[in-house]
Amino acid sequence: MLAKTGIDRLDELLKGGIPLKSNVLVYAPPFIGKEIILKRFALAGLKEGEKVIFVLTDKSFADLREEMIKLDKKFEEYEKNGMVRYIDVYSKSVELKEESEWAIFVDSPVNRERIASSIFQIQRQNFGKHRIVFDSLSTLIVYSDAKAVFRFLQVLSGICKRMEATSMFSMTRGMHDEMEVQTIKHLMDGVIEMREEGARFQLRVQGCGEVISRHWIDYLLEGEEIRLTGAFRMGRVA
Amino acid sequence: MIEIGLPKLDEYLNGIPDGKTVLFHIEPGMEESNIAMHVLYNNIKKGIKGIYVVSETSLKNVERKFAEYGCNIKEYDIIFIDGYSSLIGAPSDAEYIVEEPHDIRCYEDVLLEVFDKVEKGIVVFDSLSNLMDMCGERDALEGIERINNEISKAGHNGVYNFIAWPYKESILYRVRRIFNAIIEVKSLDAIGRQVMEIKKHDWGNGEGKKIEFKIFKPDGIRIYIPKITVIGPAKSGKTAFIKALSREFTSVDRLGTTVGIEHGIVDYKGYRAEIFGIPSYERFQPLIDKFGSSSMGVFLVIDATAPHTFQQAKEMLSKFQNLPCVIVANKSDLPNALSKEEIKNRMSIDAPVVEVNSVSKRGVYEAFEILANKIMECLNAG
Repeated sequence: MLAKTGIDRLDELLKGGIPLKSNVLVYAPPFIGKEIILKRFALAGLKEGEKVIFVLTDKSFADLREEMIKLDKKFEEYEKNGMVRYIDVYSKSVELKEESEWAIFVDSPVNRERIASSIFQIQRQNFGKHRIVFDSLSTLIVYSDAKAVFRFLQVLSGICKRMEATSMFSMTRGMHDEMEVQTIKHLMDGVIEMREEGARFQLRVQGCGEVISRHWIDYLLEGEEIRLTGAFRMGRVA
Repeated sequence: MIEIGLPKLDEYLNGIPDGKTVLFHIEPGMEESNIAMHVLYNNIKKGIKGIYVVSETSLKNVERKFAEYGCNIKEYDIIFIDGYSSLIGAPSDAEYIVEEPHDIRCYEDVLLEVFDKVEKGIVVFDSLSNLMDMCGERDALEGIERINNEISKAGHNGVYNFIAWPYKESILYRVRRIFNAIIEVKSLDAIGRQVMEIKKHDWGNGEGKKIEFKIFKPDGIRIYIPKITVIGPAKSGKTAFIKALSREFTSVDRLGTTVGIEHGIVDYKGYRAEIFGIPSYERFQPLIDKFGSSSMGVFLVIDATAPHTFQQAKEMLSKFQNLPCVIVANKSDLPNALSKEEIKNRMSIDAPVVEVNSVSKRGVYEAFEILANKIMECLNAG
């Protein structure tokens, strides 16, 4: 069973999507489309009737909601139907006051315990098959250290697998040393890595079950879309 | 001597003598993980000075958190040591600030300064695990060991929250070594039942003792008994008994007879129990079967003036075998009521009989305490 990423040719590359109940890291420098992958992944889940939990450390739930509605008008409806939950680890720390019945607020990215228990609290309400979009692990690491975040993820991923969650985490390239990155990758079932190579954007997939190609593949960033342009048919890798 | 503020647990611990430190070893992801805060609140209420070391959240948020439990921190004598603000580069209006929160010795320095000024206090650390993550596991624990020695010398008490993330066994070993008592806090099942178990107790023999608890807003932490069932023959006075015992009560009755499940919430001496009364009619039999399997204890209510119903009462109890039970002898101050001993003889059940008058509430809480005690023993027996 696979979870569609919502980006057609990426799903093709992944032979249908990422394995259900897996944890995937999206690892990329800023501004080259990491967030698009996360948002498309959320929308693809909602479209299939799966619920979504957003964990946000760098923007408020209200901002994300606005961005999601821009991508798909139906998002408002999904939210109204109780399919969307937010764990907002940002608003309180910058004294934003907006509230929502779908949001749980955590006051600080240092408080990993609160983040974990908020996720479990939502899952306990018979949440069923769902997706978690975690943006971003980098903030957590910056405020403590990679080992602490590693332990947090160990607990989280164990429980999320039991609770039938498929999760996508983001991490920003350039903010961490290699050791930290390896530590976190170690806990993931797959990594979607993105880079800027000269004037080209490229991505590649590590792990994630069976895929057609593990090489770097060109993509274009067009507004809120990511379009894979590189070829990856078997035996004919760009 | 301080106390946790949970009746049975304090009994098992025999209080916390001056100089002793207690660690709450908390499973990650519990509904509410700041247990030490509740201990602090329960003790500052009694006039003990509080020293609160904040490392994982802002002071403003701490204040908010206390307020959720009906505590206005400004009314109490608490010294805040702020190790969080400098971590995120925010200004702080705390009296004591840890300027270098990645260095456990800065925490030590500030604490020593505070200890010089305070004769007797309770020191609470909101998150030892967080200090370990910030300062390095070994360094932090060495520092905490020194702090605990100071606490012990000065006769203060220390209470720590420790989130049991998957640390290495050697680190956990060290954690276990440097506290006088360790209380493990974990969930019992997926629906949120939670227990505390004493894992280490160097001034007594409470090791292995357990209690079930829950944290309520705004009432705070309570020993929690999620389900006590009340059964008994028709007209024995189940409703009156539940009403007399409960703080909140809901019931459906028609012409004086109960026709649905009744529910009461009991709040008594640090206990919170949910009580379910099942009507005596045949058609509720399936409910009895269902409740029997998930109850933690039973009140069997009988009418002390109606011995002809005793046989029926005994049969009702058969669905609740092996559960802690108390026989509530209702209407026991009517002139034709049977005495406790007579009831005991006629019922011939191995359960205490308590004489109760639901109107004057005589015996009502006594019955509850006896049953609650039996339920706690039962939890600890297996």
